[in-house]
Amino acid sequence: MIIEALIAVTFLAALVVFVAPDEYAGRLAAALSALPILGSLWMWAQYDASGNALLGGSIAFETDVVWLTLGGLDLHWFVGVDGISLPLVVLTTILTTLAIVSAWTPIAERQSQFYGLMLFMEANLIGVFTALDFFAWFVFWEAVLVPMYFLIGVWGGPNRRYAAIKFFVYTNIASLVMFIGFIALVFGLGDSVSSLRLPEIAQALRAGELGGFAGLDAATLKTVAFVATFLGFAVKVPVAPLHTWLPDAHVEAPTPVSVMLAGVLLKMGTYALLRFNFTMMPDVATALVVPIAGIAVISVIYGAMLALAQEDLKRIVAYSSVSSMGYVILGLVAYTTYGVGGATFQMIAHGLISGLMFMAVGVIYNTTHTRMVGDMSGIADRMPLTAGIFVAGAFGYMGLPLMAGFAGEFFIFKGSFESTVHSGMPVFTAAAMFGIVIVAGYLLFAMQRTLFGPFSFDGEYEVTNAPFHDVAPLAVLLLLTIVLGVAPDLFFGMIQDAVNPILSGGGL
Amino acid sequence: MAGILDFAPAIVLLPFVSFLVALSVGDRLPKGGAYAGIAATAGSLILSVATVLTVAGGQTYDATIYTWAEGLDAVDLTFGVLIDPLSAMMLLIVTLIAFLVHVFSLGYMNDEGETGLPRYYAGLGLFTASMLGFVVADNLLMAFMFFELVGLCSYLLIGFHFREPGPPSAAKKAFLVTRFGDYFFLVGVVAVFATFGTAAFAGEGSFPALAEAALNGEASVTTFGLDPQTWFTIVGLLVLGGVIGKSAQFPLHTWLPDAMEGPTPVSALIHAATMVAAGVYLVARMYGFYALSPTALAIIAFIGGFTALFAATMGVVKREIKQVLAYSTISQYGYMMLGLGGGGYVAATFHLMTHAFFKALLFLGAGSVIIAMHHNENMWDMGGLKDKMPVTYYTFLAGSLALAGIFPFAGFWSKDEVLYETLIHGLGGSPLLLGAYAMGLLAVFFTGFYTFRMVFLTFHGNPRSQTARDPHGVRWNVKGPLVVLGVLATVAGVVNMVPIEKLFGIGGIDFLHQWLDGSFEGLTAHHYADLIPYSSSYIGSEATTVAVGAALSLGLALAGSGLAYLLYNVPEPVRHTDRLGRIKGLLYNNYYQDEYQVWLANGVTRPVARAANKFDGGVVDGVVNGVSGVSLFAGGRVRRIQTGVVSNYAALLTLGLTALLLAFGILGGWFV
Repeated sequence: MIIEALIAVTFLAALVVFVAPDEYAGRLAAALSALPILGSLWMWAQYDASGNALLGGSIAFETDVVWLTLGGLDLHWFVGVDGISLPLVVLTTILTTLAIVSAWTPIAERQSQFYGLMLFMEANLIGVFTALDFFAWFVFWEAVLVPMYFLIGVWGGPNRRYAAIKFFVYTNIASLVMFIGFIALVFGLGDSVSSLRLPEIAQALRAGELGGFAGLDAATLKTVAFVATFLGFAVKVPVAPLHTWLPDAHVEAPTPVSVMLAGVLLKMGTYALLRFNFTMMPDVATALVVPIAGIAVISVIYGAMLALAQEDLKRIVAYSSVSSMGYVILGLVAYTTYGVGGATFQMIAHGLISGLMFMAVGVIYNTTHTRMVGDMSGIADRMPLTAGIFVAGAFGYMGLPLMAGFAGEFFIFKGSFESTVHSGMPVFTAAAMFGIVIVAGYLLFAMQRTLFGPFSFDGEYEVTNAPFHDVAPLAVLLLLTIVLGVAPDLFFGMIQDAVNPILSGGGL
Repeated sequence: MAGILDFAPAIVLLPFVSFLVALSVGDRLPKGGAYAGIAATAGSLILSVATVLTVAGGQTYDATIYTWAEGLDAVDLTFGVLIDPLSAMMLLIVTLIAFLVHVFSLGYMNDEGETGLPRYYAGLGLFTASMLGFVVADNLLMAFMFFELVGLCSYLLIGFHFREPGPPSAAKKAFLVTRFGDYFFLVGVVAVFATFGTAAFAGEGSFPALAEAALNGEASVTTFGLDPQTWFTIVGLLVLGGVIGKSAQFPLHTWLPDAMEGPTPVSALIHAATMVAAGVYLVARMYGFYALSPTALAIIAFIGGFTALFAATMGVVKREIKQVLAYSTISQYGYMMLGLGGGGYVAATFHLMTHAFFKALLFLGAGSVIIAMHHNENMWDMGGLKDKMPVTYYTFLAGSLALAGIFPFAGFWSKDEVLYETLIHGLGGSPLLLGAYAMGLLAVFFTGFYTFRMVFLTFHGNPRSQTARDPHGVRWNVKGPLVVLGVLATVAGVVNMVPIEKLFGIGGIDFLHQWLDGSFEGLTAHHYADLIPYSSSYIGSEATTVAVGAALSLGLALAGSGLAYLLYNVPEPVRHTDRLGRIKGLLYNNYYQDEYQVWLANGVTRPVARAANKFDGGVVDGVVNGVSGVSLFAGGRVRRIQTGVVSNYAALLTLGLTALLLAFGILGGWFV
């Protein structure tokens, strides 16, 4: 019942904050959002399940009741976590609170609505990562988009309408494609499944019980469905060339919304890819390894090159997300413990580090009201603490050892280099790894020009130290990044445990 | 039994603690946290001495101390401590120099009224800790991780004066250029794991041992469809990328002269004991793997010989004292690479040690001069400092004699041994190695010249500026470290007087060689000598070869020094660079190496990035917007329901969910 409690408390908190007066909505939201953190940490401490939730492993904190029966298919309220989803739940709860605190300075209007929507989004995100029935999962999945749309569209920058609509339409069309692809699979499974529970569907698919549908034979149907769901999720990740909604959304979104978008929402895409495509249809995934690994490499290098061309700090971080998510795809398609496990770990690591970077850019923006690299230099002179954390975070992003990003990336590189799914994997890996040089290039150049050198700033604002509540979330994220980098086993053990069942059987 | 070697992790942790202390409360401590750093490095030094003594007693140590990532049905990734003669020796060097640099910093940073001292001492502490962690690493992954941390620290310390434009740029360049090398290193690490399933340095199941067994057909490893010999060469060269970056070998040496923007004590640490030494140390650490590949060895030797000569020629025209030293560092590490590639494991290790002493000495001596000169580094403004600062002069002179390779100073013995090993192995049937030897030999002349040009310009002749006439005095905290290092630079050669042994037939004075034989089986100098793919050949007898080799290199060193004496040991020296003709421009501009690398970054990569950005905005996003343009018509209608009232949206959302549920029912019912 803890998961229901977690979701319900967060929904309730959203409601309470929604009707609270603006003056203390931010404080209230932060305080209430501590409850889900406690819940998720309690779950982490109590976690004793093993195996993959979709492949017959034991599921922690499981609830499975029939909710509705629609046309011969049972719709279940079926939630639970395994080693893949639990870390993401923890990430979601922690990042939401930190994002809420980071909103105290920049968000000045309609505050109760803002914080209410943040909490509403959090509740749905927890739902996405815990739902094990397709229907419930899909409702949460879609429901995340709504608060995000408003958060960008109402509190965003000058071009917020365009960005919000682009985000909404793009991801909604993607959901549609994905939905069609998945439902086709369900129809193809016919009577071998009696519900939309994901474990049932996953096990039936891996057992080869897929039949033909709509004139397609089973093999073709599976490939078509794989491609459709892959494309649908790939928009969310995003992988090149389906990424163009992301920089627009990030540039217009206020800082805390960017933190949630990069830190958690992108992980919905990679999480779904892992749960649906790579868990349910490993035979198709390995058959399509060359295009998938190719897309991964292109995302890494192309995303990094785009980041190199940007002058807006936020755009730099936004494009670098495309690059980092490319690593995740590469790890997933490797089908090794370190590859898939590393990809899952990288979701957490990137969630923390990209959140840190967006917040750091936000703190500078709060003071200078500009994010353009050429508009300022020598900021470290006036904001030493912020600059110090910025530097530390940037090195985390570059994959400095003993920070979480290195762990995730190294696991992925190791796992994909030794992968046997295709003889070209070492080459794909080595190509993708060049991203670590480019990321150092654009972050070091950006830091040299904005943080260091003689102080100069043309704006009319006074550049001084940021308030404590702006810097505190940065420090917390930095600390978490280091803790996870020094002791990746805090999550990596349970991740591997949930990942290993994926790696054998099912046509592999 | 808890032996002293069980405390080895403390050697690494003590400076790390001083980093934490300086970072967190340094501004409330006296001297900005300097004493914490001094105490920590002194503690590490004492433990290192104890470690060396224990290793001398025949003990070694290899233990996993922390499992970083525990693999489930996959390999564990671990941190371990490997104490053998090589790492024990390096621990002693690093802790000694780190300690002296900390003391010296009191004079160079505190007494000179620098600000930001807690940050400085935190950086020094982390730098030392990272390097020590690298030295004791018992596997390649751990070595890589600390190697990267060393890179971070160099970035932080080179860019210490971040309010000026130069240092941040130099710091960026140092990190970026070495990162480029580290990319290959990381691919190499991953490849080692994929090939051998382990990255351990020592023991039966270590990757060099497995590679050896695989070549003998006794073990099977994953070689990705390639011949094992070819694949091991590729892996070795990948790891070598990191070495070339950090040890500033051609063509990735360009960061090092710029890194002189950092405070001088930091330069001493970087050049003598930490970052630059890390690269060469890594090759020595996994020498059992490189020794298996003739191609890799030949490439190492050739890069080394070429870099030794190439950097030495650039050193002869520099105006600033630290610039001369920077190029001498590149050149000297070239010798170490030459030694390693030429099959002289002991010789290269020996040179690593003596170089650490005399280069730290020279940098600290230069730092002393810079204090005296009120931070003017231009040698043409100096002159005549000899009488004003005798301690600095005589210690600097000792270091210079060692650098130039003049008998009997430390550098003579080690450089001579490097050249000798390369020579006999080259004569044994490797023309490439003979070529590398020739370059190394020629570089001796240039070394002698630029070293004594620097000495004469700085200390001899008449003072050429007001500050040189009335230099700022230095205190004990500067002179103390100089004296310690001056003594070492003079006498450290006695640890391995191979020429004496061979010429006079006195057995058993090659102490360093014996020392390095006392390691784990498979990590001994003896084992490496068996592995290397070279045979030796002599000019006449062994003794004659030793005599000829030593005479040649000493003669060239004296010739170079003598030329410098003639040209610059005059009361009013003048520039002679015009005699170089067109070569002058080439040398001043460092063979345009910087230009082409900057061009690669700014002239190639950036335009490509901008083109990609245009493509992304115009084509990729253009398609998206084009598609949405088609649906604008539909959009026009949708706009009417966009009221901006959140409750309306909520109602719509609820309606939508209900509709979805209904659709499901109809679809499902219709389907069954």
